[in-house]
Amino acid sequence: MIRALIVDDEIHSREELEAILGETGSFWVVGKCDNAIDALKAIKREKPEVVFLDIQMPGITGMELLSMIDQEIMPIVVFVTAYDEYALKAFEESAFDYLLKPVEKQRLLKTTLKIQKRLGERYSNAFIAPAIKRIPCVGPNRIKLINISDVEYVRSDVSGVYLVCAQGEFYTEITLRVLETRTGLIRCHKQFLVNIDHVDEIILHENQAAAIKTRLKKSVPVSRRYLKKIKEKLEV
Amino acid sequence: MNLFLQLFQTMAVFLVVGYLYCKSPWFRPLTNQNLDRRDKVHLYFFFSALSIMGTYLGHPVHGALANTRAIGPVLAGMIGGPVLGTAVGFTGGLHRYFQGGFTAFSCGLSTTTEGLVGGLLCLYLTRRNRLQDIFKPGVAFLTAAAAETLQMIIILAVSRPFFDALALVKVIALPMIVTSSCGCAIFMSIIRDQRDMYDRAAAVFSSRAFNIAERSLSLLSKGFNRQTADEMAKIIREETGVSAVAITDTEKVLSFVGVGSEHHLPDTPISSPLTKLAIKENRVAFADGAQDHYTCFISATCPLNSVLVAPLAVDDVVIGTIKLYETSNKRFLNMNKSLGEGIARLLSNQLLVSKYQQQKSLLIMSELKLLQAQVNPHFLFNSLNTIIAILRKDAGRARELLMSLSSFLRKGLKKSGQLSTMAEELAHVNSYLAIEKARFEDRLTVEMDIDPDLLNLKLPAFTLQPIIENAIKHGIANMLGPGVAKIRAYKENNVAIIEIEDNAGTFCENGNENGLGIKIVDRRLRLMAGDNYGANVSCVPNELTKVTISIPLEDYEYDPCVNRG
Repeated sequence: MIRALIVDDEIHSREELEAILGETGSFWVVGKCDNAIDALKAIKREKPEVVFLDIQMPGITGMELLSMIDQEIMPIVVFVTAYDEYALKAFEESAFDYLLKPVEKQRLLKTTLKIQKRLGERYSNAFIAPAIKRIPCVGPNRIKLINISDVEYVRSDVSGVYLVCAQGEFYTEITLRVLETRTGLIRCHKQFLVNIDHVDEIILHENQAAAIKTRLKKSVPVSRRYLKKIKEKLEV
Repeated sequence: MNLFLQLFQTMAVFLVVGYLYCKSPWFRPLTNQNLDRRDKVHLYFFFSALSIMGTYLGHPVHGALANTRAIGPVLAGMIGGPVLGTAVGFTGGLHRYFQGGFTAFSCGLSTTTEGLVGGLLCLYLTRRNRLQDIFKPGVAFLTAAAAETLQMIIILAVSRPFFDALALVKVIALPMIVTSSCGCAIFMSIIRDQRDMYDRAAAVFSSRAFNIAERSLSLLSKGFNRQTADEMAKIIREETGVSAVAITDTEKVLSFVGVGSEHHLPDTPISSPLTKLAIKENRVAFADGAQDHYTCFISATCPLNSVLVAPLAVDDVVIGTIKLYETSNKRFLNMNKSLGEGIARLLSNQLLVSKYQQQKSLLIMSELKLLQAQVNPHFLFNSLNTIIAILRKDAGRARELLMSLSSFLRKGLKKSGQLSTMAEELAHVNSYLAIEKARFEDRLTVEMDIDPDLLNLKLPAFTLQPIIENAIKHGIANMLGPGVAKIRAYKENNVAIIEIEDNAGTFCENGNENGLGIKIVDRRLRLMAGDNYGANVSCVPNELTKVTISIPLEDYEYDPCVNRG
């Protein structure tokens, strides 16, 4: 059985897909999500082998979601779309396959065989993901999309990853590592990324570590390991 | 005293020459503020000739000549500046020098100096930005008087023997100073009057041209047809005052107003060879009535004698002509000739603009057709997918949804040019909403509040559905939370107001993307009912987008192809 996750904002679409996936007898649906942010959580939690992903979704599109998934747990991605002139292009760039709604059973069987073959080969599903331009942050009763350019720095602790910007701190599902590779944010500490455009000054300490003062007058620690890299970046 | 009279006679000859010059075509340069090199050469020859003539018409006094040679150089200097003045003075002076006599050298020198004096005055006034003063007769009088006085001083200073010179100056000084100054002043006043006349004629010309332009511009945007041609012909006749005006297309007369209109009837084929020539070669044809005559082929007693035929061309393709006629007892004025040519050019441009506007309005119509014909495939396949899914669970509901889809598609086949009632529009909206509500389930709530009196209101077909589709497709479908669409229709001061509101508030950021549908609805309502009606959008980011449509309550005619510019 292939562990599959369904991501689609329309309830009937999700149910229909679940039904025909069941009919093939090859899939075990580990979860159904109606938006990209829930999908990000579910992928981290369930680590499905394949994701059936709708492209047009509110807030974060299916394409954007792909950039936010850690490459190490990247599942096989099959786009499912009603009609999208960009579907083919998207498929070529990052998806394994695509299906058109309403999904035909014969077509789905083809995809199933392809997936089974790929899973046997143990290829990496990693691909060159496009850069993330805005980060979805989950707050009570709302989801906020924050532009990378507004972020001062990012910190992580046991409770999760937080973006710090002028409006405050926001929790995000995206890992520090994904943010480091897919945004322009720079690693300055095991638990911190900093937006180099917001650096106001760097205060050097005696033990070869340092601290960054951001424009919002916040202090971000810089460990010895990353200080050199940051200096290079700033050309000092 | 005798000398006075003689010099005045000479001056009179000068003034006749000056008057003739001002009436000649060479006068043109003098009307220009800025003279170019060619103009200056012209002026140089004219004033040098004048100066030399002054010497020849001089009267021998004590072995010298009493003369009005100074007028040329002084005027040349005042009009053309120091270089021209000195050059004319030097030429006149050189000529005088070779005539001999004991004042030969002093007179030659002084004439050159007089040119320079005029020139320096011109330079002074130009620098002071007082160009208009150059043409004041009083200024010319004083300048000439000063120059002639200077001449007398030079004669006294240079000519030898001094006593002969003194005797000479005593005799000639007063007559020469007075006559030359008067001559310069009168000459200058002739020039000034001529200039003013040119200016006045130009002012009359431009005011007529502006009048015609102003009155005709809006007219032609309604198209080039018999009715607009008729109004146009009347305007042109009123403004130019010619005997008759005709407007033709490439085959027949569209309109004829004025003398001869009883036999020059609209819709008769073009018979004049001049008009045919103008159409064929896309150029102005002119019969001035003196050498070339206009001959009417329709009536032997037609009093029209001269004609100007100017082609109307759009993108270099002749589509008609404008004809201005005069009768045999009236001269065809040059001004009317250039006005006629100008009008034809102006109208050609205007036709080009209105052709462009017509195309633009056609474009809107085809955009609209496209928009409605385009039952957007995304919507169609999503609907089918939804219905297929529901079929699994609730065949009855699926059947109802298929009925809605079918009725929605059937409405889409209606022609966009037609009027439809509010009830029909709402039926269309409801079949659309039935499907979208099924797709989005509890993510979409629709609230409707329609004044029942408005159910028979007439509005262009496809006004409501595209706007509601916008609100859902670009608004609510992108919301993570629950979406609410509100549709309200009510009366306010004899105007029907329809409001379509969603709580997504996404229009502010992607206005251009989904503004087209609203723009088209707006354009159609404006075309139909005037600029007081239409559709407009207000938006509060992340809170709401509201489209407000206003439609007149009373009956109106709707012709989607009417272009109101």
